[in-house]
Amino acid sequence: MMSGEISVVIVLLDMALLVLIGPLVTGIIQKIKARLQCRQGAGVLQPYRDIRKLLRKGTVQADTASGFFRSIPVLVLAATVAAGALVPVMRAAPPVFPMGDAIMLLGLLALARFLTALGALDAGGAFGGMGASREMTIAPLVEPVLMMVVFSTALAAGTTELGALAAHRGTSWILSWRAADFLGFAAMLVLLPAETGRIPVDNPDTHLELTMLHEGMLLEHSGPGLGCMLLASHARQIVTLGLVSALFFPFGPTESAGAMGLLLGAGAFAVKILVLAGFLALVESSYAKLRLFRVPQYLGVGFVCALTALALRIL
Amino acid sequence: MRAHGAGAEDPVSTEMVHAIIDDIGALLLFTMILIVAAGQVYRAIYAVAAQSLLIAIAGGVLAAATGNIDLWVIAGITLVVKAIVLPSVLHWVVRRMNVRREVEPVIPIAATLALAVVIVVMSFHLSASLGTVRQAITGNALPVGIALTLTGVLVMATRMTALTQMVGLFASENGIFFTAMAVTQGMPLIIEIGVILDVILAALVMTIMVLRVRSTVDADIADLDRLRG
Repeated sequence: MMSGEISVVIVLLDMALLVLIGPLVTGIIQKIKARLQCRQGAGVLQPYRDIRKLLRKGTVQADTASGFFRSIPVLVLAATVAAGALVPVMRAAPPVFPMGDAIMLLGLLALARFLTALGALDAGGAFGGMGASREMTIAPLVEPVLMMVVFSTALAAGTTELGALAAHRGTSWILSWRAADFLGFAAMLVLLPAETGRIPVDNPDTHLELTMLHEGMLLEHSGPGLGCMLLASHARQIVTLGLVSALFFPFGPTESAGAMGLLLGAGAFAVKILVLAGFLALVESSYAKLRLFRVPQYLGVGFVCALTALALRIL
Repeated sequence: MRAHGAGAEDPVSTEMVHAIIDDIGALLLFTMILIVAAGQVYRAIYAVAAQSLLIAIAGGVLAAATGNIDLWVIAGITLVVKAIVLPSVLHWVVRRMNVRREVEPVIPIAATLALAVVIVVMSFHLSASLGTVRQAITGNALPVGIALTLTGVLVMATRMTALTQMVGLFASENGIFFTAMAVTQGMPLIIEIGVILDVILAALVMTIMVLRVRSTVDADIADLDRLRG
């Protein structure tokens, strides 16, 4: 089946693109933030340099860590990259073979998060344990709401496969939005900083014990392992952004079109990701990090929005 | 502006109006959620101003669709009075009183949010059971209006300071206004103006009271239940 083979190639191409571009998005966000703070800032390629440096270093491991600890970074990276395969980048159609849907995607992201927390606990460091416990406090508040947002969109299309969802919505974008989509998108914007580990829920730039969630869990990793974890968190960020764009602003060829259509889809994806990255940078520059006990209230706004979106769809 | 009754003759346009009113209803619910979740008085004021602006836009859309001139007047008055004047009065009072800027809830804001969810789901559920009445009304305007009104009352009931209670009153009033506009395609002008005058009067009385109470006994509304003669 000719078109099937092409589709597989495109899916794999999408996945590779996501992983390769992930650090660039982080670099761009950091650059925009630096500019907003009237600083010069590091170049947008800095995350690549960091990862390259880490990959060449040796590994130091805590005495208390078990053998499982070494495999954690690889597993986390694998789960995140696998989730990336489910996000349509250049296509707006389902792949010809069943791969998994949005629920699978969220499950893989949750698996990556769980493994990260497990690794932090395994190393036996105090910071790692604290970071893991905080992350596991936030996760049950974020993931169900994310699921509800996906469902509120999926109900209209009758499928949870992201490519099929995108194809159902078509390319008329905001003009075809129903009432529930506005609320779902609002919920998504509230959740986005939480899922990508940014202010006001987490602060990716700090190693201060009072503020860190995700960073605390990475402290015990070093060398190539840390490099993998960083790459995984960059990939997680762009996968989340890709999920938003697939749910709310799908664009791209609906069938396995020619190279022109694919290029167009890739260009549109880049623009969408850039806009969302700009939004994240803007939020991060204009708000302070919330106290941990205020985070549930903040995420509650997202929960109520998502529930109302579902109510608008169902009732 | 289209002639009177143009909306009824053109089914595509009517559909479109219903869709737009539905979308505005969703955005109204979003601003209501922001009001409930606001931790600072200023944010609640901005959210209620945005809500009034949306109501004015809804009025404009309905006016353009039905060609009802009264609706244009009402949308204009709503825009000027409720989206600009009243929020700036509230803003001025907050600055003038130099009070704490945090909202002081009676029960935790998270609990209020949970109650708001219950209200939204209940109002959708209840209006679904209205049957024929429900079908006669455009889209989700009725449940959204009911939810807005009740959540406004909830905000009034769960806040300590008079200022945030006023925000709740305005939001509740917005809900009634939205329901009235969407359900009846525009009430008589005199009734709408009467309602708006009521709100202005309530705001004036409450503002004066808050400032007076503050300047004479240095207490807020919440402290009055402990007052002994």
